[in-house]
Amino acid sequence: MAVRISIGRYYSADSPIHRLDPRLKLIAAIIYMASCLFVSNVPTLLLAGALIVLAMALARVPLGRVLSQIKPAMHFLVITSLFNLFFVHTGTVLATIGPFSFTTGGVSSAVFYTLRFLLLLLMGSLLMLTTQPMAITDAVERLFSPLERLGVPVSQATLILSIALRFVPVLSQDAQNIVVAQTARGAQLEGKGALSYARACVPLLVPLFASAVRHADNLGRAMDARCYTGGPERTHYHVMRFARRDAVAAAVLALYLVALAAASLFA
Amino acid sequence: MQTHSSTTIAGSTADPEADPIIELHNVHFSYAGADEEALRGVTLSVTAGEHLCVLGSNGSGKSTLAQLINALLAPTDGSARVCGIDTAAQPERTLELRRQVAMVFQHPDDQMVTSVVADDVAFGPENLGVPQPRIAARVEEALAAVDMLDYAQADPADLSGGQRQRIAIAGALAMHPRVLVLDEPAAMLDVAGRRAIQRITRNLNERGITIVHITHFMDDALIAGRVVVMDRGRIALEGTPEEVFAQRDAILSLGLEPPFTLQLAHRLEAVLPELPAASDAEELARTIAYAATANTSTRSGAPRPTMPTRSGAHRTAAPARSGGNSSFGSDFPPENSHFTPEREQEAQAATPSAAQTAAIEFRDVTFSYADEQNARKRLGLLARLRKRRGRHATPHDPCGPLALDSVSFTVPAGSLTALIGHTGSGKSTTVELACALKVPNVGAVRVNGIDTADLSRRSELRSQVGYVAQLPERQLFAQTVFDDVAFGPRNLALSDAEVSDRVNEALALVGLAATPELLGRSPFALSGGQQRAVAIAGVLAMCTPILVLDEPMAGLDPAGQRRMRKLIAQLKHDGRTILVVTHSMDDVAELADHVVALEHGHLAAVGTPRQVFAQAAKHVPGVPAALAFSQRLEEHGVTLGSNPLTLDELVDCLAKHLGGAFPEEVRHGRPH
Repeated sequence: MAVRISIGRYYSADSPIHRLDPRLKLIAAIIYMASCLFVSNVPTLLLAGALIVLAMALARVPLGRVLSQIKPAMHFLVITSLFNLFFVHTGTVLATIGPFSFTTGGVSSAVFYTLRFLLLLLMGSLLMLTTQPMAITDAVERLFSPLERLGVPVSQATLILSIALRFVPVLSQDAQNIVVAQTARGAQLEGKGALSYARACVPLLVPLFASAVRHADNLGRAMDARCYTGGPERTHYHVMRFARRDAVAAAVLALYLVALAAASLFA
Repeated sequence: MQTHSSTTIAGSTADPEADPIIELHNVHFSYAGADEEALRGVTLSVTAGEHLCVLGSNGSGKSTLAQLINALLAPTDGSARVCGIDTAAQPERTLELRRQVAMVFQHPDDQMVTSVVADDVAFGPENLGVPQPRIAARVEEALAAVDMLDYAQADPADLSGGQRQRIAIAGALAMHPRVLVLDEPAAMLDVAGRRAIQRITRNLNERGITIVHITHFMDDALIAGRVVVMDRGRIALEGTPEEVFAQRDAILSLGLEPPFTLQLAHRLEAVLPELPAASDAEELARTIAYAATANTSTRSGAPRPTMPTRSGAHRTAAPARSGGNSSFGSDFPPENSHFTPEREQEAQAATPSAAQTAAIEFRDVTFSYADEQNARKRLGLLARLRKRRGRHATPHDPCGPLALDSVSFTVPAGSLTALIGHTGSGKSTTVELACALKVPNVGAVRVNGIDTADLSRRSELRSQVGYVAQLPERQLFAQTVFDDVAFGPRNLALSDAEVSDRVNEALALVGLAATPELLGRSPFALSGGQQRAVAIAGVLAMCTPILVLDEPMAGLDPAGQRRMRKLIAQLKHDGRTILVVTHSMDDVAELADHVVALEHGHLAAVGTPRQVFAQAAKHVPGVPAALAFSQRLEEHGVTLGSNPLTLDELVDCLAKHLGGAFPEEVRHGRPH
């Protein structure tokens, strides 16, 4: 059983969000995540919150899946909000306990800072849950393909990205096998001090490196046999067509941005 | 599979053309920096639509040959013309050639570029510039041809090795090749995976694709139209499978092993002198059944003729077993002693009894990857409390899918226990639990009485059990062979002199002479077989009384497998307790005296090989070839009485059963 290092596990379902053009989904997610940085008061928070709730409802991804994705970041959020609470001293003083004083500014930046990042993380995990990693690399390739004319090797770069994703479980399994085998030979994997730690890593890193080289060598040969040249005559299996639902999604996003700008200007 | 056979995969015509599709003329090839040539004058021509099998031991040059056909390598001398393109003289047409000659390699993992099955199959057509709407049709067609259409959206990482290799074949087929070159596609697969590959290659050939199948499994060759046997860069034998396998001695001297039915037919020659040499099991069974029925009818009237003695049967059998070179000592048990009463007694003794000590003991072991705990770390107080409570009160303590579910068994001290089960049945988990590389969620594992969860005795435990991982050569790391083998003993804090002694002993045991030249070499500069030997020596050097071997035969050619079997027999003879994971039921029958069978994380059967194969055949991944053949005989009305597990036993049974009386018809020709 392979240990899967999940870079956001895809949640297979058929929803309007799943079916969006991955290019649009990628751009929209990035724009939304950027817009979260402008959430600074209650109206903007409600606007941004409403949009993510709408997207999540449409995506039909169980809430638990979304939350479990952002769980690892929660510690970080709690700590940063506490920092804000203790060290921001703008606005009026609400209470003083011992050496600490809490101000309105501190409370509001603690709340908004946390919620802003929460929204941002929710959108990021929604993107990963509703889009296969391969579709994202494909989208990146199409979006950047104009750069090919300037000599930027976009399709090669995205193939590298795709192969990297493909080999994460393979190499993590290799690493696990090596750890197990060397442990059984009595390897001390927790050395004390930097030097002895480095020395303890040699029996693990050398075979892992050898295995990566072996995979690369074999893969190169297999790609050669499958006629990969990286040339411009390559075609694409997946069609990416800007459909009506994509236009609707783009319109919703545009309206949201206008509303957000208005709300943050007049608040 | 048959349902898809109406669709044609081959884009071009597959009529047998007059011109050969592959034409090698006196091809030589040497790798840069190598002293010896990998190919030393190979002349071979393959006509379109042929099914060619290339056999040979490791290092015979067969993989090089495959890569020459696909223009991944160009001959250093001689000429290679494939699909009318000279690979050396017309490098600009390489791509044109590879469009027509697709290739599948040994490691399925290293052939996939994406994490979605369908996208990976589409990779070839994309590279060929196939227009988008037609790619989808090709992907579907190719996946259907390998029976993997249901997995189009799966992640290859979630599939078994056999399934992944089928995806790799689909990826090749989607390019609509005229020729499919398979380079040891089943070397890392279990029997079921290998059978699937055989079925698929045969189907593809029937659809007109020329197949060049490189393999060291002889039964792959039986379905081919023509067989070529390579030896040290040259073609040693060539002909139909029947013609090639008729040359038994040559096959054995080339480090290969004839298929089971041919071995059986050969062995029976002593008993049934004029038995037709059949490569087809069904035909052989029919012949034997015919002889047997004729025999009983003569027996009922006339007095029973004298039976050939068993020792006679063994004498003729001897070359079949001792074909491999014995690089080990000569003092280990003769391999022919299997069907003797001693073995049965030994097997009886191996079944656990109250008086006998258990080398490894699993008691109600449950393990789940979802809440695995670090085997090296002490449990937190809370976790310890929870665990203790879990053991008594809540049986559903571990969450997530269970890799093992309340498994209890023992590995008796001094036994050679085989651990068997399908892919995903929990074998690897069991092995890691037995070696204290994981600790159970519930229950306990004891190794020579030491609880694997007891951290204070962990180093003591490490000196009790040695673990040879799957493909152990992948754990080599040191700069010299000596340092690598010495890694384990040094971790046991032995003196330098002791370490040195152990290294020499371990290398001798695996058949390598510990010369200063070898000891000073980099393990990465050794051949594949030597690397495995060194890696195993690295574990043997720890001199543990218990050894756990995970698929030690994987990827070895027949000669290597024979050496490995001898090594295992030798280790058992030396008194070590051995737990071996294997998917070869023949190895189980040949080597083991105790079997533990797992199925979906549960214990399916435990006992001697005879008990397990007789009583739990449904729960094990297969049966030994000898038993399968005796079952086939039973369908033909021949009941042997006992269940033969090995070739020797089967021959003995048949000798007894047939008695040696022969009807005229068998002597003079085949029955109908």
